[in-house]
Amino acid sequence: MKKLTKTGRISIPVVLLLLGALWLFPMWRIDLRAPQYPGGLTMQIWINDVKGDVPIINGLNHYIGMKTIKKEDFKEFVVLPVAMGVFAVLGIVVLLMGKKLPYYIWTGVFVVIAAYSFIDFYKWEYDYGHNLDPGAPIQVPGMAYQPPLIGYKQLLNFEVLSQPDVAGWCYIVSGIILASVAIYEWKKR
Amino acid sequence: MKHSHSLAAIIIGSLLIYSCGSGPKTDSASGNAQATQAADSSMVAGGKDASSQASADEKKGTGKFTDVKLTHPLDQAMVTSGKAVYDLKCGACHKLTGEKLVGPGWKGVTDRRSPEWIMNFVTNTDEMLDKNAAAQSMLEVCMVRMPNQHLSDDDARHVLEFMRSNDNKN
Amino acid sequence: MKNIRLLLAAAAAVAVSMPSCKMKSTAAAVEGGAASKVYVAPGKYDEFYNFVSGGFNGQVSVYGLPSGRLLKIIPVFSVFPENGYGYSEETKAMLNTTQGQVPWDDQHHLELSQTNGEQDGRWLFANANNTPRVARIDLKTFKTAEILQLPNSAGNHSSPFITENTEYVVAGTRFSVPLGAEDVPISSFKKNFKSTASFIKVDSSTGHMSLAFQIVLPGMNLDLSHAGKGPSHDWFFFSSYNTEQAYTLLEVNASQKDKDYIVAVNWKKAEEYAKAGKGKKVPAEYAHNTFDEQKQLATSVMEKETLLLDPKDCPDMVYMIPCPKSPHGCDIDPTGEYIVGSGKLAALIPVFSFSKIMDAMQKKDFEGDFQGIPILKYQDVLHGEVQKPGLGPLHTEFDGRGNAYTSMFLSSEVVKWSLKDLKVLDRVPTYYSVGHLMIPGGDTKKPNGKYLVAYNKITKDRYLPTGPELAQSAQLYDISGDKMQLILDYPTVGEPHYGQACPAELIRDKQVKFYDITKNGNQYVTMGEKNVKVVRNGNRVDVYMTAIRSHLVPDNIEGVYVGDNVYFHVTNLEQDWDIPHGFAIKNNPNAELLIMPGETVTLKYTPLKQGIQPFYCTDFCSALHQEMSGYLRVSPKGSNVPLRYGTGETAPAPTAADTVAAK
Repeated sequence: MKKLTKTGRISIPVVLLLLGALWLFPMWRIDLRAPQYPGGLTMQIWINDVKGDVPIINGLNHYIGMKTIKKEDFKEFVVLPVAMGVFAVLGIVVLLMGKKLPYYIWTGVFVVIAAYSFIDFYKWEYDYGHNLDPGAPIQVPGMAYQPPLIGYKQLLNFEVLSQPDVAGWCYIVSGIILASVAIYEWKKR
Repeated sequence: MKHSHSLAAIIIGSLLIYSCGSGPKTDSASGNAQATQAADSSMVAGGKDASSQASADEKKGTGKFTDVKLTHPLDQAMVTSGKAVYDLKCGACHKLTGEKLVGPGWKGVTDRRSPEWIMNFVTNTDEMLDKNAAAQSMLEVCMVRMPNQHLSDDDARHVLEFMRSNDNKN
Repeated sequence: MKNIRLLLAAAAAVAVSMPSCKMKSTAAAVEGGAASKVYVAPGKYDEFYNFVSGGFNGQVSVYGLPSGRLLKIIPVFSVFPENGYGYSEETKAMLNTTQGQVPWDDQHHLELSQTNGEQDGRWLFANANNTPRVARIDLKTFKTAEILQLPNSAGNHSSPFITENTEYVVAGTRFSVPLGAEDVPISSFKKNFKSTASFIKVDSSTGHMSLAFQIVLPGMNLDLSHAGKGPSHDWFFFSSYNTEQAYTLLEVNASQKDKDYIVAVNWKKAEEYAKAGKGKKVPAEYAHNTFDEQKQLATSVMEKETLLLDPKDCPDMVYMIPCPKSPHGCDIDPTGEYIVGSGKLAALIPVFSFSKIMDAMQKKDFEGDFQGIPILKYQDVLHGEVQKPGLGPLHTEFDGRGNAYTSMFLSSEVVKWSLKDLKVLDRVPTYYSVGHLMIPGGDTKKPNGKYLVAYNKITKDRYLPTGPELAQSAQLYDISGDKMQLILDYPTVGEPHYGQACPAELIRDKQVKFYDITKNGNQYVTMGEKNVKVVRNGNRVDVYMTAIRSHLVPDNIEGVYVGDNVYFHVTNLEQDWDIPHGFAIKNNPNAELLIMPGETVTLKYTPLKQGIQPFYCTDFCSALHQEMSGYLRVSPKGSNVPLRYGTGETAPAPTAADTVAAK
C-alpha cells in the first residue's frame, strides 16, 4: 500500500471544505421567464430542500396538470445529506490512513453518488413533466413539460434555464479534483 | 401668376384678421400667436385709420353690435321682458342702485357706456374682458370675471331697455 | 508539485465564485418616433374618444387617443360621492333594483350605438355583471340616462352587444340559474338551471330601452357575443362554456370537453315568433330607471312581466356550432362572413363561415342535439383554423383591411393574422397578460385601423410601484403599417375589460355645454334670487337656494331643529360652459353635490346634533370661491327659534327673544 503524496493529502481537506458549501449554498437552480414575469421566476434546489418561487410555479403548473412540488415528497432530501455526511467521514478516515487505495475507493464512492444523483434528478424531471393530470384545464396535444437537465429550453410561453448553483459548482470542482488527484496518485506510484 | 399671389395674400390676410377675432380660449389653431402678431402689425401699418378705429372700438366695444337703434319712448314690452331676464340671470350680481354687489350697480350705466358697448359686453363677454380697457378696469375693481350668461341678441336688447328705464330714460 | 497545489487552490476559488448564467432580459423595444405619434400638443385635441369599462369600479372612464389622457369618469352603476350621483334626490333612483339600491357593480363591456353597422355617436351601452343590468349613457351630456334590470339572469356577461342598427341590445347570462325564484337543489342543475339570452329593444329616436323577449337556453355559461353584419345581419352569436353543465369546481369540471358551442340565434325570427304569440308571458319583477333630462329627475318603475321564448316552440331560431375548448370572445369580421371563436384553452383559433353555416342549416345534416337544439357539424361550417397562433386566445378585433388581431392571455401577446388564408402575419408582446383589445370601430362594419389598444390584466413593473395594488396598464399600438408598433403605455382606472373608441368629430361638437335655465323643469328650481325661500312642513324643511359666483342665497338660515329632514335644492344660475358649483355642508354623512350651470340638484341633510353648520361651494369657481359659503343654525329639538333666512341685508338679525334663548 503506497502512501498518498502531499498533494493527495492536501486535496482531502480541500474537497471536504468544498462539500461543506452544500449546507451553505443551493446546488442547482432552474430559472423561468415569461412576459408576465419580468423579473423571472427561480427555483433553487438545496441538499435538503427546494426554495425560491415554488408556490408561484406550483400555481402555474396546476393549469397544465403538473403535480405540486413539495419538499416532503422527496426522499432525496433525507438520503443525500446522510450520504454526503458519510462521505465526509470517509474522507477523514482516508486522510488518517494516508494510503492511495482508500483514496481511489473514496473517489469511486463520489462518482457513484454523483451519477446516482444526476440520474435521479433526470427521472424526477421526466416524471413531473410527463405525468400530467388528464383533467387539467389546459391541454396542448403532444406537449410535455420536462425541464432541461442542464441548459436552455422553451416550454410553451416560458423560457427555462437549468444550471448548477454555487454548491453545485463546488461539487463539480470536488469531482474534478478527486479525479485528477486520483490519476496523479496513480501516475506517481 | 402674380395675380394668384396677391389673391393668396388677401385670403391669408383676411384669415389672419379673422383669427385675431377669437379669444385665447378658442385658440386651438397652431401658430395662432404669430397670426395675432401679424394681424396687430398690419393694424399698426394702417396708421391713423387704425388708431381712430381703435378708439371707436373702445367706445363701442368688440362684438356684433356696431349700431344699436334706440327707441323713443321706451318699448314697455321690451322693458318687461328685460326685467324677467335680469331677475333670472343678472340680479344675483348686479343691484339696480349704484351699489356694487359682485358686479357694479346698474344705476347710471347707460350714461357711462354706449348701448353698443353694453350689448357687446353682455353677449361677447370673454373677448371684451380680454381686450376692452373699460371692461378690464372694472375687472380690477370687482375681481370676478363676469360670466357669459348666454343671452340671445333679443334678450340683450331687452335688458338694455330695462337699464334705460332704470335710468329714467325716455 | 507546486503547480498542482496552485491548481487546486484556483479550482476551489473558481467554484465558490462561479457566476450563474443569466436569462436574457425581455425589455420592451420602443422604436424611435413613438413619442411624436402620441404627443398631443397643449391646446390640441385627441383624435379619438376612448370609452373604457371600469370593471370592479362600476364606472366608465373616457380617455383621449393617442395621448392616453384621462378626460372623465362617468358614474354608471356605482355611487359617486364627488358629484352626488346616487346620493342626490334626483339621481338616487338610478341605482334602484328589486333588491333596493345597489350602490356598486362590476362593469365589463361597452358598445357604442350604430346605424347601418357604423358608429353614430349617440349613446354608449354598458353592462353590469353582478346585479344584471344594462345602462345607456347619453353622449351629449356624458351622463347615465337609463338603467334596465334583467330578470331570469345572473352574471350579465355577454352584454351589451348590439345589432347593426341598434335595434336590440343583448344580455346573456354568465351563470345559469333556475327561472323565477324556485327553491331547488344545486345538484338538479341539468334539469332546472337555464341560461337566457335577453333582447332589449332600443327606441330609434329616444334610445329608450324595453325588454322585448328572453330566449331560454340549456344550463351553461354564455360568455360573450356579437351581432352579425351585412349578410349575417339577422343573427346573433354567443360563445358558451361549461356545456359540461358542471356546478362545482368549474376550473376542472368545466374544462373537460374538447368542444363547447357558439350559439347562433336568429333574432329576426325570434322577433317574429314573439309577435306571433309563440312566447310565454310570465311574471317577473325588474327595475327600470330613467333620467328625465327636462325634469332633471330619475324615476324608477317596477316592471311586472317578461316574454320567454323556448327554442322547442320556435323552430330554426337557435343552432349550436361546436367550438374548441371554452370559447371566450366571439367576434364577427366587418364583412359579416367570418365568425371567430377564441377557445381560451385551445391551441388554435377556429374561424367559421356564415355562408357555410347557412348551407348546413339548409341541408339539415346535424351532428345531434343539445337539449333539443340542433348541433351543426364542426367541419361543415368551418372556414379554417389559425394554427399555432399563441396561447390563451381571448378576443379578436379587425382593422378593415382583411386582418384580424387576437389577444393571447397566456403568451401575453397580440397576434395579427389574415382572414383570407389564416396565416399569422405579426406578433407583438404585451406587458402583461392582455385581456380585451380594441381597435376604434373594430367590431363594426367600418373599423378605423390606425390604432389598437391592449387592456392588460397584469402590470408588475410597468409604472412606479404603488404598494400591493397597481393600476392596470393599457398599451397603444400603431397598426397602420405591416408591423404593429408599441407607442404608449398608460395606466387606467378600475379594471378595463372592453373598450370602444370613435373619431372625436362624431361626438365633440354635439356637447351640451350648460343647461338653459329657462327650460329647467326641476320641480324645485329657483328662478333667480328673488324666488329664494325656505319652507317648513312638519319636520321637512325645503331650502330653495341659488348659486352664482361667488355667493349662495340664502347664506344664513335659522329655525332648523335636530332631527329635521332638510332638503337643499340648489340651482346654479350660471349660464356659461364649465362653471359648475359644488355644495357641501359640515358633517353630512350623505355626499356633496356638483351642480352644472342651469341645473338644480337636491341634497338631503338630517342634523343629528345642535350647532352652527357651515355650508360652502366645493368647486373652485372664482377668485372669491373661498367666500362662497354660509351658516345653518341647528337648534335643539323643540326650541322656538323662528325660521329666518337671507343673504346680505336680508340676512336674519338677532331679536331680543334669541338673546334671551342664548342666555
